Amino acid sequence: MTASGSIGSHDHDHEHDHDHEPEAAHVIEDDAGNLEGQQMIDALQALLARKGILSAGEVTLEIQNIEAPGTHLGARIVARAWVDAGFRARLLENGKNGASELGIKVGEAQLVVVENTAEVHNLIVCTLCSCYPRSLLGQPPSWYISKAYRARAVREPAVVLAEFGLTLPPSTGVHVHDSNADMRFLVLPLRPPGTEHLDEDALSALVTRDSMIGVALPLERAPA
Amino acid sequence: MTAAPIPVRYRVGDPVAVLDLGKAGHVRTPFYVRNRRGEIAQFCGYFLNPEALSLGDTSGPLVPLYRVRFAMKDLWPGEARSDRDFLYMEIYDHWLRPAPGPHA
Amino acid sequence: MRGYHDIGGNSAGPIEKIELPWQHWEKQVEAVRNLLGDATRRVLSLDELRLGFESFGADKYQRYSFYRRRLEAMIDTLEKKGLITRDELMEELARVRLEWRDPDACRPPR
Repeated sequence: MTASGSIGSHDHDHEHDHDHEPEAAHVIEDDAGNLEGQQMIDALQALLARKGILSAGEVTLEIQNIEAPGTHLGARIVARAWVDAGFRARLLENGKNGASELGIKVGEAQLVVVENTAEVHNLIVCTLCSCYPRSLLGQPPSWYISKAYRARAVREPAVVLAEFGLTLPPSTGVHVHDSNADMRFLVLPLRPPGTEHLDEDALSALVTRDSMIGVALPLERAPA
Repeated sequence: MTAAPIPVRYRVGDPVAVLDLGKAGHVRTPFYVRNRRGEIAQFCGYFLNPEALSLGDTSGPLVPLYRVRFAMKDLWPGEARSDRDFLYMEIYDHWLRPAPGPHA
Repeated sequence: MRGYHDIGGNSAGPIEKIELPWQHWEKQVEAVRNLLGDATRRVLSLDELRLGFESFGADKYQRYSFYRRRLEAMIDTLEKKGLITRDELMEELARVRLEWRDPDACRPPR
């Protein structure tokens, strides 16, 4: 994919309603690009190893570390908050401490858990780059790091949500969290209706990655 | 680190405005909130200034970080869907000034 | 002053809801960066990396994919700090490319 439009320097001041060239389409590597990337990082890693700065073994271990987290960890936290009001309160007070109660270690400075209610729906974005609770949820989806999402989520969140298939009632306020500094965010979705009989494991199966970012609701029943 | 932390200046609920410091280099205060008014939603703690960290300077001092809440109708006049829509963002102490009164 | 990465509020087209696989080289870029920034090394922090892709130019920012931007920013910053040179890296790259060519054992029989 190639970028569309011409993007000049953005050093001058703008009014807020100044019309920019729309942000470029998401750049996806093709096979040649992936090969280039692989060769380049292999070269950099070999060079750094030659200089004694790191070793291939350490890189392999670190790759395992970053592959380990995922939706399942966030889902466990959400499911526990749904069944345990005390845990829920502690989680909302301090997300990192809450997670550690379940043996889940959050690596970032702090995890702020924001709860959806009948009145409020939360949405997470990082307009400046791609900040995301990676130590908990793993790597963010491509669309989260796309310029289109980063540009539009803070300006027209309801339109963005509708594009994801989520229409909110007019009485529900949208709270958008631009994750631009040291905090990382997790949405605590509303427990789906008709799930009173489900245990924690069954509940965690309803919690999707997208519901913890805020572009979707959790499932109402587990996938078959 | 020898310097004392920058003192906390704001409490939850305080009305504030975001400065435009005109700084080059790595800043974590997005353009779209500069000169906008909001209110302190949460105190996040003390952190090293990313502007200095980006240059490899880890000497400090620690800076207070707050989550600030902005009304969408104030950020995007004429466009916001609802009075109940808000934008929350983390802002470092030195990017804020007090903004008492409705039109300060 | 507004960086070309500071795009909150800009107009943009539809959000492409693709699920891309996480490539091995992309994980490797993250892993190498994490190690370079860890407590035993502290030679490349996340903030230094961010300054890297915020200052390598709007053209690269538009053209490169997300992980490629981080890789390029990492190389630029390590070079700026005198830890590597482009020449050394290009030499190493030439070696890597040689290794990627099919060895004789893999060539189909004539």
